[in-house]
Amino acid sequence: MSELEKLRVVIGYEFLKHIRRKRLYVILGLTLLAEAAVLILLPALQGSYPDNVLVMAAILTVGPSLAAIGAIFFAGDAIAGEFENKTGFMLFTNPVRRTTLVIGKYLAGFAAVIILIIFGYLIITISLLAIYGTVPVEMLKSFGLALLYGASVLSITFLFSSFSKGAMGATVITLVFIMVISPIIETVLMLTDNPHWFMLSSAGDSIATVYGGYELFMEGLPFGSMNGGMPFELESPNVGLTALAMAIYLVVGFVLSLWISKRRQLA
Amino acid sequence: MSESIVIENLTKYYNNFLALDNLCLKVAENENIGLLGPNGAGKSTTLKILCGLIRASSGTASIDGINVAQKPEQALSRIGAIVETPEFYPFLTPQETLRYFGRLRGMKGDELRGRIKEVIHLVGLDSWINVKIEKFSRGMKQRLALAQTLLHDPPVLILDEPGLGLDPRGVVEFRQIIEEVGKQKTVFFASHQLTEVAQICNQVAIIDRGKLLVYGSIAELEKKYQSLEHAYLELTGGVA
Repeated sequence: MSELEKLRVVIGYEFLKHIRRKRLYVILGLTLLAEAAVLILLPALQGSYPDNVLVMAAILTVGPSLAAIGAIFFAGDAIAGEFENKTGFMLFTNPVRRTTLVIGKYLAGFAAVIILIIFGYLIITISLLAIYGTVPVEMLKSFGLALLYGASVLSITFLFSSFSKGAMGATVITLVFIMVISPIIETVLMLTDNPHWFMLSSAGDSIATVYGGYELFMEGLPFGSMNGGMPFELESPNVGLTALAMAIYLVVGFVLSLWISKRRQLA
Repeated sequence: MSESIVIENLTKYYNNFLALDNLCLKVAENENIGLLGPNGAGKSTTLKILCGLIRASSGTASIDGINVAQKPEQALSRIGAIVETPEFYPFLTPQETLRYFGRLRGMKGDELRGRIKEVIHLVGLDSWINVKIEKFSRGMKQRLALAQTLLHDPPVLILDEPGLGLDPRGVVEFRQIIEEVGKQKTVFFASHQLTEVAQICNQVAIIDRGKLLVYGSIAELEKKYQSLEHAYLELTGGVA
C-alpha cells in the first residue's frame, strides 16, 4: 500500500473527527453571530448601511477572519493530542510514516477551515445581494487571502502543537501569538514607521483592506477622514507582500512541525 | 528456528537516567516470552523501542530481521502491539476505529469487514461495535486494543500489561485468547502478574535497572529457585 493511499485514509478519518466534534459547529455559530452583529448593529447605530458596497464587504470580512482563526481550534490538538491523550500509542504503531500522518491531519484541518470560510463568504454574498443587489469582484481576492490566512494560521498552530506537551497549551500559545504578540509588534512597527507586512496580523488585515485599503474603510464609517486624530499614518498592507508573508508562515510553520513531529518520541 | 525479535546491546538514556543498559535478548519464532521486572526496570522502554515509539541511544532492535530504527514501517507491519494504557479517539466507534487501522495496514473490502467482526467477537464487544468509544470503560478499551492488535493477524504480538483495567472474568478471557493465538505467533509479553506470565509463556526474561538478569524457560527457573516467584524476588533483590 502506497503512502499516498495511506494519506487518503488519514485525511478521511481526520476529517470525520472534525465533523463529529462540536468545535466546528461552535465556530460556524460564532461566524454567523459576528456577521449578524454587523448586519444588525451597523444600521441600528449609524442609521443606515454604508453607501459604498466595498465598505460593507470589508466590514463583513470579520466573519471569515474569525473562521480562519478557527483553524487554531482544529489544529491545537492535532499533534500534541496524540501524545497527551495517549492515542499515539495506537496510531503510531501502525506502519505509516509520521510525515504522512501530519500531512493528513493538516489537509483534513484545512478542509474544515475551507468549510468555515466558504460559510462566511456565503453570508457576505447573501447580505450584499440583499442590501445592495450586487457583489464586488474584489471579494474573490478577499476569499483567496482568507484561505491563505487560514492555511498559514493552521501551519503556525501545527508548529506549536508539534512541541507542546498538551493541546490546550498549543491552542493558547497560538492564540496569544496571533491575537496579542503579532498585533503588538505590528503596531510598534507602524508607530516607528517601519514595514510591517511580514507580521501575520498585518497579513490578516489584507482580507479586508483588499477592498480599497484603510482609507476606504475609515471614510465609510463615521470616524471622519483617514487618520483623524491618529498619531501615526495608517498604511494599508500591500496585498502581494502580505500574501508572500502568509505563504512563508505556511511553508516554514508546516515544514518545522513535520520535522519536530518526526523526531518527537512517545515516552 | 529463526528469531522473531533480536535486541542487541540496547541502551536508552532519558536525559541522564539510564533506562536500558546494553540489553541483549533473542526471541525465537512462535515463542511466548514474558518480560518481567520491577517498576522502572526498563520493560516499557524495551517495548516502545520495538514499536518504534522511541529511539534507542545505542544498540539495535529488529523484528523478523528488520531493523526497527532503519525501516520502521516494514517492521511495524509485522507486529500487533498494546503499549501502556492505550486510548482511542472517543468520537469513533470500534468498527470505525478498526476500519481506520485496518485500512492503514492495507486491508479493505470484505476481508476487512469479516476480520473486524471476527476480532470484535473474539474480545466480546459484539454489542458495542457501533457505540462511540467515549462511552467505554477502561476494560472495554483494553478489549478493543487487543482486537486491533489481532486485526491484521501479525506474526509478532508485543503486549505491555494487556490485562490492566480488566475485571477478573476479563483477565481470564484475555489470557485464554492470548494463549490460543500465541500458539502460532511470537508473543513478547510484559507484565507484573507472575501467574499470568506463567500461564501464557514458556520462557521468561527478568530485567532490572535496564539489565538482563536471567533468560530461560519457566520450568528451569522453577527447578532452580523452587518457583517463578522465588526466582523473581531473589534476582530483583527482594526477599525470597
